[in-house]
Amino acid sequence: MNWLSDNVNQLALLGAAAILVLTIGVSAKYFKQIKEGKSEGVLKDENWDGIGEYKNNSPIGWSLAFIGTIIWGVWYWFVGYPLNAFSQIGQYNEEVAAHTKMFEKKWANPTKEDLLGMGEGVYLVQCSPCHGIDATGIEGKAQDLTKRLLKESVLAVIEKGSAALGDKKMDGVGKFGYQMGEMPPGLVSGDDAKAVAEYVANGFKGNQKGAEVFANACASCHGPDGKGMNGMAPNLKEYDDTIIKHVLEHGKQGVIGTMPSFKGRLTAVQEKAVATYIRSLSEK
Amino acid sequence: MFGWLERNPFFFAVGVFIVIAFAGLIEIVPDFAQASRPVAGTKPYSLLRLAGRQVYIKDSCNACHSQLIRPFKSETDRYGNYSLSGEYAYDRPFLWGSKRTGPDLHRVGNYRTSDWHANHMWDPTSVVPGSIMPAYKHMFTNVADLETAYAEALTVKKVFNVPYDKDIDGDGKVDVPLGSFEQAKKQALAEALKIAKETKREDLVKMVESGKIPEIVALIAYLNGLK
Amino acid sequence: MQSPAIEYDYTVAKWFSYLAILFGILGMGVGVLIAFQLAFPDLNYIFGQYSLFSRLRPIHTNTVAFGFTLSGIFATWYYVGQRVLKVSMKESKFLMTVGKLHFWLYFIGALLAVASLLVRYTTSKEYAQFEWPFDIVVVIVWVLWGISIFGLIGIRREKSLYISLWYYIATFLGVAMLYLFNNMEVPTYLITGMGDPLHSVSMYSGSNDALVQWWYGHNAVAFVFTVPIIAMIYYYLPKESGQPVYSYKLSLLSFWGLMFVYLWAGGHHLIYSTVPDWMQTMGSIFSIILILPSWGSALNMLLTMKGEWGQLKENPLIKFMVLASTFYMLSTLEGPIQSIKSVNALAHFTDWIPGHVHDGTLGWVGFMIIAALMHMAPRFYKREIYSKKLLEAQFWLQTTGIVLYFSSMWIAGITQGMMWRAVDQYGNLAYSFIDTVTVLHPYYTLRAIGGLFYLVGLFMWAYNFFKTMTASRAIEREPQFASPMAA
Ligand code: HEC
Ligand code: HEC
Ligand code: HEC
Ligand code: HEM
Ligand code: HEM
Ligand SMILES: [Ca+2]
Ligand SMILES: [Ca+2]
Ligand SMILES: [Cu+2]
Repeated sequence: MNWLSDNVNQLALLGAAAILVLTIGVSAKYFKQIKEGKSEGVLKDENWDGIGEYKNNSPIGWSLAFIGTIIWGVWYWFVGYPLNAFSQIGQYNEEVAAHTKMFEKKWANPTKEDLLGMGEGVYLVQCSPCHGIDATGIEGKAQDLTKRLLKESVLAVIEKGSAALGDKKMDGVGKFGYQMGEMPPGLVSGDDAKAVAEYVANGFKGNQKGAEVFANACASCHGPDGKGMNGMAPNLKEYDDTIIKHVLEHGKQGVIGTMPSFKGRLTAVQEKAVATYIRSLSEK
Repeated sequence: MFGWLERNPFFFAVGVFIVIAFAGLIEIVPDFAQASRPVAGTKPYSLLRLAGRQVYIKDSCNACHSQLIRPFKSETDRYGNYSLSGEYAYDRPFLWGSKRTGPDLHRVGNYRTSDWHANHMWDPTSVVPGSIMPAYKHMFTNVADLETAYAEALTVKKVFNVPYDKDIDGDGKVDVPLGSFEQAKKQALAEALKIAKETKREDLVKMVESGKIPEIVALIAYLNGLK
Repeated sequence: MQSPAIEYDYTVAKWFSYLAILFGILGMGVGVLIAFQLAFPDLNYIFGQYSLFSRLRPIHTNTVAFGFTLSGIFATWYYVGQRVLKVSMKESKFLMTVGKLHFWLYFIGALLAVASLLVRYTTSKEYAQFEWPFDIVVVIVWVLWGISIFGLIGIRREKSLYISLWYYIATFLGVAMLYLFNNMEVPTYLITGMGDPLHSVSMYSGSNDALVQWWYGHNAVAFVFTVPIIAMIYYYLPKESGQPVYSYKLSLLSFWGLMFVYLWAGGHHLIYSTVPDWMQTMGSIFSIILILPSWGSALNMLLTMKGEWGQLKENPLIKFMVLASTFYMLSTLEGPIQSIKSVNALAHFTDWIPGHVHDGTLGWVGFMIIAALMHMAPRFYKREIYSKKLLEAQFWLQTTGIVLYFSSMWIAGITQGMMWRAVDQYGNLAYSFIDTVTVLHPYYTLRAIGGLFYLVGLFMWAYNFFKTMTASRAIEREPQFASPMAA
């Protein structure tokens, strides 16, 4: 987007130029008079500590400009920002409407490339203060989005269940609002828990014992492949659009920390874009 | 006439005063009639948040941060809904600021969390590389002055009828209880404990458990409430 | 010589001059420090929590506005007042006592008030941070000054008031009215008997508080950084140059125009805020109209120097004052343009505002006070100015400093404003906030260097002043016009 197409930018630059040009221009004119003019006029009778005063008239240009600004003021008051008709909120609504018209149509059917580019932009502005510019979670301060789950996170969920990590007020539904509702605490424990946590955190590889535990205790909800059975429960293997949609809507309070809800802050396209971008991080 | 004024300093001064006082009346009086009405959902600050607000003022965060989201798309995208007059009804003083060296904070409670704030206030560059915001480590050991916060809450309740201990939204329950200092303090400690735990800092939790609220916890309560 | 019979008493004027130098160096020293902090944040911790940017910024603004500038105003009042009224303070024991009391109360009050900011007592309102006990001291100091002004006027020999006096009187009245209303606050200890006795809470809330604050804040600029400085230039420039004021009529129109229009313009600090639209529009309009009464004084001064190129070339004091008028023109055109709604949409909250602020304060306020004190020094001590060369060098160094300051802040502010608004090809915000911070590093560095130049200039000034006082060649008679100076 070209920065000169924004009329606020245009006016500001114009203003800055006007300040310089007018000040330098006018003062140059008067400096010329200092250099070439001659001090003259009729002195008043009074005199203060040796300081006299001429009875000269005000410079014509000055008086005209004074009247000019008053006329401009009347214009601004009744035409520029009409007293009875202008409202800044109205102006805002127009700005938003114009923007929506221009962009929503343009990105109604975005390609994957579009989504990736857009998602990266949204991510850098909205998410990078917590997840870091490289999305690795700033040394454990937030989720590392280049990987799926940490062993500690999985262990904590096993121990405490999953709605317990979230908002208890949301009766019967898990924090994220998956169809399976809450995940109960203590499904497995001890070495089994460690094993399955390691297996899950390792991307469903290695740890044979973990794989067994998972198949027995977890697959009923999360699916044998761990992908959550089409949104019944969270996909534990990889990020998918559902997880990101859910976490953006509800936020998440986990062992790592608290992720705020972004409900209402991102549009549907932006959500999809950011999800595409996050998925791309661990696909590599 | 002007020559006469210049020879009569008393009338000169009166003349100047009338000319300068005039505009003030027209600018200020009309707005007072309407602007301080709270919008729905606006509630007075709880004791803990008020103490946090005092910390915000004491360390002049307003030197770098605004709390006024202007109605431009670029601002509402970044910070959330534009600000409304009624949302500031209980702000004494107002904290709009005049310089955004750092971002606006009027709705920061929507998109930052206790643990993030704790990390950030301890060392801003640990979460935002390149940040020029100073670290506020003394807030992690200073104890918040609940008594002064209580004095302020009680003063505004008494003098300006700020609705503490009242049912504001009409659901039959008191919205922001204040009560006696002991009651208010107990409630503040409970709120503080929750936040201290969210920050995952043992030292803060311990301090709150011993009955003292670190300034940072009060400040975070205030920031979390900015929505 | 006008009336050789009158021997003016400069005691109080001298004292306030020393304070102006002291607070100038302190306040701008802090200014340079905070400027460097924005470029190099590690400097925040040199004195632990006491040197954090946010603590020092209000100390900077208060020390320069109410330390440096006010001292300069008082110093020049106690000098100019006697001379244009043709009456010496010696003639009234009472006024002499009031003057001295005024000085001491002001000095002690100022030190305590700054100390209170350092230990976190602040109400947060810009240019009105002090807690209520200090407000009371301020009021007493102000009343003392008022007694001094009207007392001296009461015993005057000169029937009619010179232009400078109009402006001093307006300063007195304006600040009195503004300060009182903006500092209406309720001490919480008095109501509840608990908590910190110094703490208070504002009488106004939210948008109303903002309205009163910026009615005050804008006009505090008017009546501290503008009106009394005009009082100075109307005396010192004609006096130093020996030229009559170009036009009485222009000074009349400018004065009454300024008085009437200034007060309406405060709304330009609240554009796109939550105060009613019409009030913001009014702020924009009156700001634009304000250009002319402001430029009137500046042009009157430039025209006073008509045909006096020689003086401008030869006399560094004239240089300071002529450039001060020019910077006054710059900032009183810049401010109005920043008041136009669409321009303010970009400029507000950015570094362009401090840019504007310092065109005015460094170029206009600072230069006028520097020139005024150096004009007075030979009259104070009956010695010639110690070094013209040093003064010349100071002038060029500080001018470079100001240019660095405002050009870097213009670029920084406009860049920042455009980046905040910028969207990418998808219509989403193009920059995260921190991107808009890190790009400013080079400009922040340049600004700090500019500030450092200006500060070094202040040391040169202090040295020159001190040497004039102690070691310069004595002169027999007080000079009528141009100040004598050694090469
Ligand atoms: C009864 C069905 C069920 C079973 C069995 C189950 N889960 Fe879950 N799991 C869920 C639901 C539902 C959620 C989402 C809860 C919410 O909304 O907070 C979830 C959430 C999780 C999460 C959190 C994901 C995230 O992104 O924060 C992890 C990790 C997890 N489960 C691991 C496991 C493991 C390991 C097992 C086996 C030991 C298991 N689950 C067994 C239903 C189940
Ligand atoms: C205030 C800090 C903060 C911000 C801003 C933030 N996050 Fe998070 N996010 C977190 C934390 C902390 C976690 C880890 C929670 C846990 O599991 O303990 C997290 C977790 C996540 C997860 C993993 C959820 C899961 O179930 O495993 C995703 C995905 C995510 N964030 C996406 C985003 C996106 C997209 C944005 C921006 C639009 C964003 N976050 C903004 C702090 C933040
Ligand atoms: C020197 C200027 C400065 C001061 C003083 C300052 N900040 Fe900041 N602040 C910044 C900058 C720059 C950022 C953006 C970079 C970052 O997030 O660290 C920021 C960011 C923040 C954020 C994150 C907001 C967001 O949307 O990401 C919060 C919250 C915050 N500051 C609170 C405070 C508080 C509370 C204080 C006072 C105790 C304070 N700041 C003092 C400059 C400052
Ligand atoms: C015609 C005269 C002037 C007008 C109309 C004017 C206008 C403005 C405007 C629009 C702002 C910015 C408000 C914002 O967006 O934050 C501002 C700020 C400021 N101006 Fe001026 N200005 C004028 C002259 C001056 C002069 C001569 C000085 C100093 C010598 C000065 C000092 C300041 C200061 C200190 C601020 C900062 C206020 C703050 O703390 O935010 N102004 N002015
Ligand atoms: C060596 C000279 C100076 C330097 C380096 C300096 C530096 C600074 C800095 C860094 C700021 C903070 C800007 C920000 O927050 O982004 C500031 C603010 C300010 N300074 Fe200075 N300053 C100097 C001289 C002065 C003088 C002489 C005055 C007044 C007479 C002055 C008045 C102000 C005011 C009013 C503000 C607040 C502006 C605002 O709120 O927008 N400064 N200065
Ligand atoms: Ca300011
Ligand atoms: Ca005060
Ligand atoms: Cu102003």
